[in-house]
Amino acid sequence: MNSLLRTIPFTWKNLVRRPLRTGLTVAGIAVATFLFSFVESMRDGVVKATEAGAAETRLVVYRKNRFCPFASQLPQSYQRSILNIEGVKAAVPIKIVVNNCRASLDVVTFRGVPDEGYLQEHIAQAQLRSGSVSDWLSRGDAVLVGSALAERRRLRAGDRFDAAGVRSWVAGVFDSDDAQDRNVAYAHLGFLQETAQRGGTGGIVTQFNVEVDDPSKMEAVASAIDEAFAHDQFPTTTRPESAFVARAARDVIVLVRFASIVGWASLAAVFALIANAIALAVRDRIRDHAILQTLGWTGADIAWMVVMEAAMLGAAGGAIGAIGAHAAIAFAHLNFTMEGVSIEVTASNMATVAGVLLATLLGAVAGIVPALSAARREIVQGFRTA
Amino acid sequence: MSTIECRKLRKDYRRGEEVIQTLEDVDIDIHGGSFVALMGPSGSGKTTLLNLLAGIDRPTAGTITIGGRDIGTLGRNALAAWRSANVGYIFQLYNLVPVLTAYENVEMPLLLHALSAKERHQRVTEALELVGLADRYSHYPRQLSGGQEQRVAIARAIVTRPTLILADEPTGDLDRTSAMQVMDLLVRLNKERNQTIVMVTHDPSTAARAGRVVHLEKGKIIDAAEFERAAQIAASGAHR
Repeated sequence: MNSLLRTIPFTWKNLVRRPLRTGLTVAGIAVATFLFSFVESMRDGVVKATEAGAAETRLVVYRKNRFCPFASQLPQSYQRSILNIEGVKAAVPIKIVVNNCRASLDVVTFRGVPDEGYLQEHIAQAQLRSGSVSDWLSRGDAVLVGSALAERRRLRAGDRFDAAGVRSWVAGVFDSDDAQDRNVAYAHLGFLQETAQRGGTGGIVTQFNVEVDDPSKMEAVASAIDEAFAHDQFPTTTRPESAFVARAARDVIVLVRFASIVGWASLAAVFALIANAIALAVRDRIRDHAILQTLGWTGADIAWMVVMEAAMLGAAGGAIGAIGAHAAIAFAHLNFTMEGVSIEVTASNMATVAGVLLATLLGAVAGIVPALSAARREIVQGFRTA
Repeated sequence: MSTIECRKLRKDYRRGEEVIQTLEDVDIDIHGGSFVALMGPSGSGKTTLLNLLAGIDRPTAGTITIGGRDIGTLGRNALAAWRSANVGYIFQLYNLVPVLTAYENVEMPLLLHALSAKERHQRVTEALELVGLADRYSHYPRQLSGGQEQRVAIARAIVTRPTLILADEPTGDLDRTSAMQVMDLLVRLNKERNQTIVMVTHDPSTAARAGRVVHLEKGKIIDAAEFERAAQIAASGAHR
């Protein structure tokens, strides 16, 4: 074990004193690991947004067979009927205005909510970074902007901004654990309805967010709501919020699944890259290995050096790539929005750690075959071959 | 001191279907503390014999006993440990590791010994001083002349204080002055430290510095009288 530990400085010198070879190999591994970690973070964002938790209690009531906030129109008066259904704790009418209904990386989503209740409760759970709820209440055109949207659009309290035909004033910026909240601007329901009225949809909301008093009643309450309006002029489709997001984001989910295959393929590229670099290094160092064995190092020592060098290359490239992906995601504030629903790409610690560990492990595995061939080569044969 | 006894030593190589016999029934005794030069034409088996004595190659038949130990019976790892403790090997082409400095090259064999960093440092410094290269410790092989590289290789061979030093044409790639310095050093090691040295050489003047010269021809050891006779016949043939 001691002699194995003593090989570490030699292995390290072999790497740092061949900077071109090491640099190129590490760069290749870093690019591939960057891709893998990036895609895994995207997948992580999709999973977080679409996987239902055991305690999920929120339903989204949408217009039946409508898939865009522009097309989903429900009378605000539905609120009373929904509140009368057993198991419903709260029903909040929401008007959604977006500047783009299709999947895009830069969508501004306005959610019009009633002046009382909903937002105060939401913001109480969230953390106000700047501005105040009273500022929001005091102005009709005021919006409270989620932190991700604010960072993406560089918005601060007191700013004015235009999007989706809505000219608003930023009353504050808030943080939240919920990606949907972080990526919207909360406006007064009446203000958005008024704005939309110019297009002829005043008094109409896009959806209702319904809180159910018991998670086990979600399905029954959803069915009851849809049944209540089934023969109405505006029939509804009610789903748990996660299922609603999953349906809205179906195209992105397919794309992310495909990207995930590319991510894993990039790890295969890491394996091939390290295996190639190490195989060439072992071929170049046949004489060095024969010298070391003449000095008394065993074949196992040589094999260990080769495997360790491969693992070090993997670890270095993996760390640069995965940490680079983490930093890029944190810096870019990426967010897919489609049909007014947001899927946030957040820097995932798990994806970063997985990237580093997998690159290291793949490096070590890629080094095994060259290591065995180096260990098994007879010393005299090594001097003759070199 | 390592006394070497080789009995009925044979080494065959295969090249496809062909079997090439490089050593044939070699019997030789080398006393501990002696300085022996192995001479002979190319292909006579000198380097093969040296490699067998170093334990970096295995005989096809026969025994090699060094310091009372039959090294042919040792497994790969045991043989590596034996080499580390007992053998210092000097190559014709120096064979320093290119990414390591002179100091690090000399330190490499010591990493296998249970020595503290301070003890290793002392030993390396001592070895480099002995070969006159204490001021070149941070130089890489590419920054040294051939003679300097060979002296670093000698420092690497002696740093573990082995009882047996094996040198394969240590002056073969050097100019006259460097060759003299290297030979002076080997003679000094043999005399002052009583280390057994077996050296392969083509050069009679280099061989003359050794205490004993052994001639090999076509894989067999020929005695001195026979060698003289063969040399005279060859010389008279050349005069005619």
